[in-house]
This record gives sequence, C-alpha cells and structure tokens, in this order.
Amino acid sequence: MIGVISYLAFFGTVAAILAIAVLGLNLQWGNTGLFNGGVAAFFGAGAYGAMMLGGPADPQQLGGFALPYPIAFAGGIGLAALVAWAVGLLTLRLRHDYLAIATFGVAVALEAVARNAEWLTGGAKGMRGFPRPFEGLFADQFTYNLAFLGFVVIILIAVYAGLERLVRSPYGRVLRAIREDEVAARALGKNATRLRLEAFVLGSAIIGVAGVLYVSFYAFISPQDMAPILTFQIWAMLIVGGAGNNRGAVLGAFLIWGAWTSSGFLLSKFAPTAVQIYTGPIQYIMIGLVIVGMLLWRPQGLLPERIERTKTGNEAPGEKASQG
Amino acid sequence: MKTRYLRQLAVAAALTVGGAGVAAADCPVKVGVALPTSVDWGKPIAETALWVADMINEAGGVDGCPVETILRDTQVDAKVGVDAAKAMVDLDKVQLMMGAVSSGVTLPILTSVTVPAGVMQISCCSSSTRITGLAEEGSTKGLWFRTFATSNVQSAVLTKLAKDAGYGKVTVFYKNDDWGQDMASLLDNALKASGVEVAASIAITDNQPSYRAEVTEALGGNPDAVILALYPKEGIAVTREWISLGGTTKMVGANSLRSEEFRDAVGMQYLGDFIGADTSSPRTASASAFVEAYKAKFGGEPSGPGLPNSFDAAAISLLAYHAAGKDATGAEIAAKVPMVTDPSGAPIDANVEGFKKAMALLSEGKPVSFQGGTGAVTFDANGDVSAPAVSWVFTESGIDEKQYIPLEEVNAFIQSLNER
Repeated sequence: MIGVISYLAFFGTVAAILAIAVLGLNLQWGNTGLFNGGVAAFFGAGAYGAMMLGGPADPQQLGGFALPYPIAFAGGIGLAALVAWAVGLLTLRLRHDYLAIATFGVAVALEAVARNAEWLTGGAKGMRGFPRPFEGLFADQFTYNLAFLGFVVIILIAVYAGLERLVRSPYGRVLRAIREDEVAARALGKNATRLRLEAFVLGSAIIGVAGVLYVSFYAFISPQDMAPILTFQIWAMLIVGGAGNNRGAVLGAFLIWGAWTSSGFLLSKFAPTAVQIYTGPIQYIMIGLVIVGMLLWRPQGLLPERIERTKTGNEAPGEKASQG
Repeated sequence: MKTRYLRQLAVAAALTVGGAGVAAADCPVKVGVALPTSVDWGKPIAETALWVADMINEAGGVDGCPVETILRDTQVDAKVGVDAAKAMVDLDKVQLMMGAVSSGVTLPILTSVTVPAGVMQISCCSSSTRITGLAEEGSTKGLWFRTFATSNVQSAVLTKLAKDAGYGKVTVFYKNDDWGQDMASLLDNALKASGVEVAASIAITDNQPSYRAEVTEALGGNPDAVILALYPKEGIAVTREWISLGGTTKMVGANSLRSEEFRDAVGMQYLGDFIGADTSSPRTASASAFVEAYKAKFGGEPSGPGLPNSFDAAAISLLAYHAAGKDATGAEIAAKVPMVTDPSGAPIDANVEGFKKAMALLSEGKPVSFQGGTGAVTFDANGDVSAPAVSWVFTESGIDEKQYIPLEEVNAFIQSLNER
C-alpha cells in the first residue's frame, strides 16, 4: 500500500505542476485569446533560470550560484516573464495563427540555444544537482515526497485562487472583451496592446512557476524537457478540460496526464507478451484518439467556460451559460 | 470539486493496481525495462533485452524463478520515462531497472527513482559523462551500470589511432548533440595530453543544406588530418564538401561512420587514408556467437545502434540477480555484478547453454567471466565499461578490420592520458 501511495503522490506532484502551466496558458488563450505556441519556452526559462541561480557550481559553465531557494524561485519566474516580455513586444501585434507560429518558432529557437550554449546551459547534457528545497527537514524520501506534493498543491491552489479573482474582476472582463472584439474594446478606451502584453507576461510567468517546480522536483533539466511535445501536452490538457475555465484547466491536466501515463501502465499489465513490444506506438494512438474524440464530441471541453453576469441587465449576447 | 475528481482518480488507480500489488510475491521475479519502444531505433534494443530474458528463463530462470519483464515506453520524454520507472518501482516492486537510452531520460530516472529506492539500474546506451560525475561524487551509491563504452573510451581510441598514424595537428568535426559535445571536449583533452595539436573543433548540426561555413573554418586551420565524430548522414555531407574544397583525405572516423552508405556516398578514391575506430567489435568467439544467435532469432544482422550493449546489459544484470537470489534488493544485485564479470572466472558464452553453466557456477559461489556481444566487459568503480577496440578501413569490397587493440592496451592508453 505504501508503494501505491508513493506512486500516487509522485503522479499528483507532476500533474499539479502541469496544471499550473495549464492555468497560465488558460489566462493567455482561454481569457485573452492569445495563441501561445511556445509554452515549452517559458516552462524551460523558469526551469533554467532557477537552476542557474540555485544550482551547484559547475566549473565548465556560467551559473550555479547556489543561491537560497526563494531567490532561485523568483529568478526562474523573472526569467520566464522577461523572455515573455521580449517575445510579446515583438510578436503580439500578430493575430491568432500568426502568433502561434511566431511563438512556436521562439520556443524552437530557445531550445536550440539551450542545446548549444554549453557555457550557459550545459548544452545537450543538461544541468543537474538542483538542491531540492527543505529536503533536510525530512527523514526519508517517502515523507519528503508527500510534503513536496503538499507544497506544489498549495502553490496550485494559490495560483488558481489568484486567477479566479483576476478573471472575475473588471480586469478579467476587459481581457475577455479584447478576446471577443478588440476593436470594440479599443473604442471603449481600453489600451488593448498593453493589456495583451500584460496577460501574455503574466500567463508566461505562471508557466515559469511550473518550470521552477519541475526543476525543484527532478533536480535536473535538459533541452529534452523543452521539446515541442510539452507544448502539445499542455494544450491538450486545456482543450480537453475546457478553455476559459480554470477548474477545467486543472481537471484537464490531471485527466490527460493520467491518461498519458496510465495507458502505458495498463498496456504493460494487460497486453499479451506478443504485442508488448508495440505498446509504445499503441499508447500514442490511444492518447491521440482521446484528444480527437474530445475535439469531435465535446469541443468546448469537459468544463466549458461560464460567463457570469456580474450586474443585472442585458444578457451577454451569443454566450450561453452552461453547467460543468 | 477538484478534490472530488482527485479522490475518484486515486480510487480508480488504487483499484487497478491493487490486484497487481498482491500478486507481486516472490515468484516470478519482476524486472523493469524502460526503453523508447515508440522510436524506430529503440524497438530493436527492447526486443534484444526481452530476448535475453526469454533465454534466461529457458536456462532455468533467476534463482529458479521465471523472469517477468515489464516493458514501458519512455517516449524519449523525461516526464514519461520517470513516471514509468516510478510506477514499476513503487507498484511492481522491481529491484532491477534496465534503461533508458537518452541520457536526458536516464539521469532523472537514476536520481529521482532508482537510487532513492535502492533499485539497481543498468543502461545499454547512455553515454553522458554527467553520469560519471554523479557516480564519482557517490550519488549513485554503486547501483548504476552501463554497457555502452563511454565517450571517454571512444575518444581515447580515436586519439590513439591519430597519434599512431603520426598526425601532429588535427581538426575535429563533431555532431552537435550530447554524444558529440561530450566527444569534442574529451577528444580535446586526450589529443592535447598525447601531444597532438587541435587546430579547431567544429560543431556540425543535423539537416543543414550546406556545411560550407564549417568546412571553410576548418580549412583555415590547415590540419594534417581531421577526426570525424559524426553519424553517416551529416558525415557524408561534411566529408564531400571538405574534400571538394581541397581538404586532406587523411581522416579518422568514429564507429558511427562504419557504414557502406558512407563509403559509397563519399567514394572509395577519397577513402584510401581513412582509418576508423570501433569499440564494440571484439575478436572473441562470443561476439560472433552473439551475431549468429541474433541472426537466427531475428533473421537479420544486428546492425542498429546499441544491440550488443542491450544484450550484455540484460544478461549481466540478470545473471547478477541470479547470483544474489530471487529475494535480493537492488544493492545486493549490484554487489554481485563483479562476480559475473570477473576476468579470472570461467568464460561464459552468450547463449542458453552458457547461461545454464554460469548459473550453476554462480549458485556454487564461483565467479564467471561473461563474454557477451561487446566482449568480456568489466565495470569500473563508476559503473562505466571499458572495451577492446579495433581499427578498420574501407576497401573496394566492404569494410575490413585492420588492427585489434585488446582491452588491456586500451586501458593502458587511457591510463597514460590521465597521468599526464
């Protein structure tokens, strides 16, 4: 039974970290309509930033300043936000599909930098040995992992609560107004360009939080962790869970990551030995089918967006309140 | 609401794994295999590992218990690979983990799953020197092994060949991935230590339409020879441009270029001075026995990367498991590995009869010397292997071995580099 708890704690930690990244993307896409195709870049910036500030010294490269955890944490978020600000200034003039391609390109470029700038990032070998926070306080690995799960869940709840407040505030309504009709928002005197940039930077910083937690948990980061598949995974979680709904984003993260890992587990358990060698490709097919099925039969996601009327008055045109 | 879903998920997962957890009594012996089976070159590596488990079962199993392999796909994604390994360690209680291939997946499995749980891990194919560093500082607790000759051995053999050929100044072209970057820095050290000047060390990134800039840079250094730590695809492109712009035909190539495709595409008239190095083709009866057995089993040559290494990783770890007993912990299995690779032990062939003989001797507490697909490997204190080497040349009819460098000579050369 200890084994089951230990595994579930591990699974929950990874899923909660991914859920934070999905919440960040939800602010960008679900609420503001910014198609960020470079999720992996901001995740990687958070992870590498924390690793460089908080990791152990390595004679072969810059960084490894072994600074205290809070500084490394803040630094990772800061790097993700900084990258997002620079990328946003350059690309946010672009609309939807153009923005998606531009941000995807930025992510590929940053992965190439991480892979090649050996003096900075350790190159393809990656960086290792991040001191796991508060590890000294716990007697054994098992209780530490449970405590780390608690730590990640607290941050997830904090991010969730903060975003819920944000999207229900007037600020959140302006973001949605920009998403629905930018010209109209401008006509009402809203500075759409600045608001889009703010939402992009804030969302990317939240994705950066996920990157920092990821490197805190694995104590290792390599360019492989910034591969485009990560962007795809985060997007699949948001679409399945329900874009525009923060609960949906969290639910989608747990469900998709659960499906992703349990498909491999179940295949290894129940597939006959003759097809055991093909379980890898079969797993990919199963994951793909789940996502395609969701898009076909429930494109709004499991928990669709709910537009709340904050004041009595006219019903929001074209929006249908639906229950999750 | 979130907690409700979490709870449902937890209950569902507990139900699924509950039955399996109970069945994990002493027999059969469960062994975890985490390999990228969804990648084209990963599948044969996994097939080879499973084949060894079948042979061990045919020979009587680990300590009388049949081996049950649990194969999980890593998808070359650290998150997925670590999750798979964690599930096998926590839910199936494996004490032995084979995998992974990419160092970027192997390393987090090692540091976050197997070492904390005291599980032995053996990889066929990870070459990163980061792991050697980890082992040196004691973080692997002696639980880590790999049968892939590290970049260290490969670079030493290339250096030896360049030095023996009398080249005083060389330029290195290396593939721009973790293996190539490792090779470049190791070659740099080894060449300098043996008194060969390095004119330049130039990264070659895959899939470029042209390498003119890189080649021009190399020509500027005016080297006696070039060392190619490349794969055939970009190796062909670079070599062609190099020769067409007037570069020397004196070349020393890594084992990855040992392909007829490379010879045919570059042209034999330019390859007269080419010397290749290889670490994984020892002249032992067992190496050819491995090739024969592989052909009989799969109906083709073991031509993909890492196959003899995968065979040896599986065989050595399972024989060590046998020696340690079916209830052994990872540390106990790891402690028996030297008994399986003891050079003074009875030589063991890589087939079912060999395994039977080895198991009988190991059960009596006698050491054996397993002679596998990569020869009679031995592990150093960091779990790294050294291996004998060969040099080879291209000929009109194919690829011929030129010189055999026994394990002792390779080790002595590496030793001499370290002493300087």
